[in-house]
Amino acid sequence: MEIFDSPWLINMLAKSDTTPQGRLLSLFDILDDWLKAPHVQTSLHLAATRHALLIGYCTEQARALGAENPAILAEHIVLIAHSAAQQTLATHNTDSTSLSHAKKAAHALIQAQTQKPELAFASKTTRYGIAASLLLAFGIAALWLPDSIQNQPLQVQAKSKLMPIPAVQLMPSNEKSLSAHDATLMYAKYEQMRQGTCQLPEALLIPDKHKAIYLDNVVGGKLPANLADLAIANSYLEKVRCNFTPMLMAASK
Amino acid sequence: MSGLREKILTTASDLFQTQGINSTGVDTIVAAAGTTKMTMYKYFSSKEILILEVLKQGHQDFQSWLNDKLNTNSKKPAEKIQKLFDYIEEWVTSPDFHGIGFIKASAEFPKEENPVHQLSSEQSLQFRRYISQLATEANIKDADGLALQLSLIFEGAVQAEQMKRGSGAMKYAKMAAKILIDGAPTH
Repeated sequence: MEIFDSPWLINMLAKSDTTPQGRLLSLFDILDDWLKAPHVQTSLHLAATRHALLIGYCTEQARALGAENPAILAEHIVLIAHSAAQQTLATHNTDSTSLSHAKKAAHALIQAQTQKPELAFASKTTRYGIAASLLLAFGIAALWLPDSIQNQPLQVQAKSKLMPIPAVQLMPSNEKSLSAHDATLMYAKYEQMRQGTCQLPEALLIPDKHKAIYLDNVVGGKLPANLADLAIANSYLEKVRCNFTPMLMAASK
Repeated sequence: MSGLREKILTTASDLFQTQGINSTGVDTIVAAAGTTKMTMYKYFSSKEILILEVLKQGHQDFQSWLNDKLNTNSKKPAEKIQKLFDYIEEWVTSPDFHGIGFIKASAEFPKEENPVHQLSSEQSLQFRRYISQLATEANIKDADGLALQLSLIFEGAVQAEQMKRGSGAMKYAKMAAKILIDGAPTH
């Protein structure tokens, strides 16, 4: 049983908290609970492999919380969790504090990567508020797009220059649960939006549970992780209204 | 002669750091050291003994290097623990850094019952005690707790750096260490 590579762990993390930071730090609580449960105190070996699935998930969370270098933060947090889990197992001691200290260490790393001591972008809700109001003002023309289609020059109108918001950084999409067809459709829509000035004033009224999807997948231009999220993201994409500058006018600028 | 023993030890140490421990054969070591297997086995009765000796030597060098740096450059106890990560970063990011013996060894020998694994765990613990001692001198209440946090950060950063040079992990490790040290309650 390799807990670090199990989809179960990802599921537990996903529902553990509403903020990306909370989800990252829950890793330590979940591992602690799991390793201290009576049934796992057998000789369990943690293979010293690179936990690609977990690191991938943590990279997403790190990106969402605005880390300077999400990949390194995720890698580092998983390495720390791995060492602390090994220590917990090695001591065969249910009082082991390794994972709780590891959690403090991880928290400090998050702080180091987000500089400002968690004021400006305290929670997803705050960031969402900022993103939504920017949308009202400027539209969402300044979409970040994946490398695959970024070879075309970005024709972003000057007035729609968004301030960089950590939450809307893009991540390379390597989701497997989506078909190439779904991805193509979404990219087509993003591409279309990129040509114009787009708005969705109703964004302010989106229910909480959809905010993350809206931020990541509609504003961020990132492909959703699964089909359920895709359906939600698409429903918002449908509602986005765009004004398109005629091609000739755009070209004459 | 002991000169030859030294030569084998440093050659093996270089090879282990650059090529990995498991993937470096005894033949390669003796060829690089310009000696014979017979001679090598006279000093080190097996490859495992050689690995253990390399680790011991490496750890001793690391500890005394760190000690010298800290003792010559920082006088106040509270300053030492703050400086610790500065020196480590300096060293880890230097061009000839190839990893830290005990961290590499425990990754290459993951089985708890393996003597190499046991020695590397012991060395990791020694390093943690060393940090704990610095924390105690700096009047920090939970010196052991802080030492555990710092050693986890440090070992993680070195592992990340071993996987990918120039990863930047050490920079954040240093910043995180400062946050933890500054935030630790003192007596």
